[in-house]
Amino acid sequence: MPALWYYLRGYVMIRVTGFSIERFLNLASYHQILFWDTRYEGTALVLKTTLDAKAELSYYAEKTGCQLELIASGGLPLQLQRLCKRQLFAAGILCFVGILYLLSSFVWRVDVQGNERLTKEEILQACEKYDLHPGSWKRGVDTKMLTKVLLTEFSDISWVSVGIDGTDATIHIAETVVAPEIVDKTTPCDIIAEKDGLVLQIVAERGTPKVQVGDVVQKGEVLISSAVLVGIEGEEQHTEYVAASGRVQARTWEKLTEELPLSDSKKIYAAQSTSNRMLLIGNWQMDFLKPRMTGAYDTEIQSVQNFGVGDWKSPLVLVTEAYLPYEMQPFTRTVEEAKEELEAMCIKKASALPKAGEELEETKLQYEVYADCVRAVCTATLSEQIGFVQNIEHTGQINREDGTTENESDRKSLTD
Amino acid sequence: MGFKKQLAQSLELPKEVVLGLPLICMTGNEEMTIENHKGLLEYAPEGVRIASSSGSLSITGDGLILRQMSAECIVVTGAIHSIEFLR
Repeated sequence: MPALWYYLRGYVMIRVTGFSIERFLNLASYHQILFWDTRYEGTALVLKTTLDAKAELSYYAEKTGCQLELIASGGLPLQLQRLCKRQLFAAGILCFVGILYLLSSFVWRVDVQGNERLTKEEILQACEKYDLHPGSWKRGVDTKMLTKVLLTEFSDISWVSVGIDGTDATIHIAETVVAPEIVDKTTPCDIIAEKDGLVLQIVAERGTPKVQVGDVVQKGEVLISSAVLVGIEGEEQHTEYVAASGRVQARTWEKLTEELPLSDSKKIYAAQSTSNRMLLIGNWQMDFLKPRMTGAYDTEIQSVQNFGVGDWKSPLVLVTEAYLPYEMQPFTRTVEEAKEELEAMCIKKASALPKAGEELEETKLQYEVYADCVRAVCTATLSEQIGFVQNIEHTGQINREDGTTENESDRKSLTD
Repeated sequence: MGFKKQLAQSLELPKEVVLGLPLICMTGNEEMTIENHKGLLEYAPEGVRIASSSGSLSITGDGLILRQMSAECIVVTGAIHSIEFLR
């Protein structure tokens, strides 16, 4: 049997002396007493046996004329017996079990599986509204209700299951098939200008282009008209209204204004900063050793340490932040300095203007110098798509060339 | 030849079960397990004698230890030099 088994069962070490030690061993083994590690130490035999065999062995020793001496005892049962006498230790074990039970009553990790289009954050946010987040009470989570809520809240989810396994909550979802984008090709509409600009390119897929490259257009102007003249030139023609579509690339201008006073004040930070550590448990902040600060100061977070193992993140977070005390000191800047600063500010702002598909072509700066401040007016030239779809309203004022009424022409275009 | 021996031979039954012969298993010269023994006759670090149905088994060696001893088996460890059956 392995040594671990002897340790778990507990053992005693016995020294046997006498003239008929072999007889003693035979008698003991005959009565199913197990002993091991039998060796001679001088003239005495030292052996190890189980805890409960001690009394029986002394009877056999007496019978065979041997003397027994207990040298040592060990093993888990004896160790536990000794430890249980220590009341605080026993209380500690009970406390540990209690805390373990308490901590296992919370959800510590929420995982989302099966999401493709929906982000994990979206689903976690929705769950948080209904009391499922790391640190929530397990019994307080109504998984059935949450399943229903997720299904109603997200139209992209076709099936959902919320399961709590141990301290992990797992949300399995199956997303619906992507619905195709419905392009309305039947309702007549125009492409009109979203803002003023100079047309650089026009591509009309459907409808009649109303502007040319190089035209200056104003906001609201029709760029691609829904009215299409059908018929051979010279013969009878009629107008049909289609859903216009196409792209209109135009150069547009944006004006940005920045201003800087000539006399200003700036923060002069002190050489020494004070650091502060605080513990966050969920949203609960524990900051017992907050340094006392006099005067104005800025706070800078230096490190955020999460007490977690591997992927598992505990809600316990240690935040180290630095308090940087400062004084406001007045200073004056020259006009040239102000212009330099304004230029940097304007360019930074202008480069943030273009969205996806847009391009910043150039920036022009003009400065206005006043007695106490300098103002910069920046004109940013952008190249962007300015066309957007607007449904036409049938008012009857539309000039028709074929003389049919509006309803007739609509019917016609549908039947065609 | 006894009936039991004949039976064990013809039916290929394990002899240590049918005849109660000692089953001796050795690992190198370091460990020796003797099953079906009939008791310990003598034990010293230089030699162990074990009674069995095949006669007294004498093991000589250095630093012999009875690693385990029960009614069914004895495990002797140490540097084993020789094994001899004494009749």
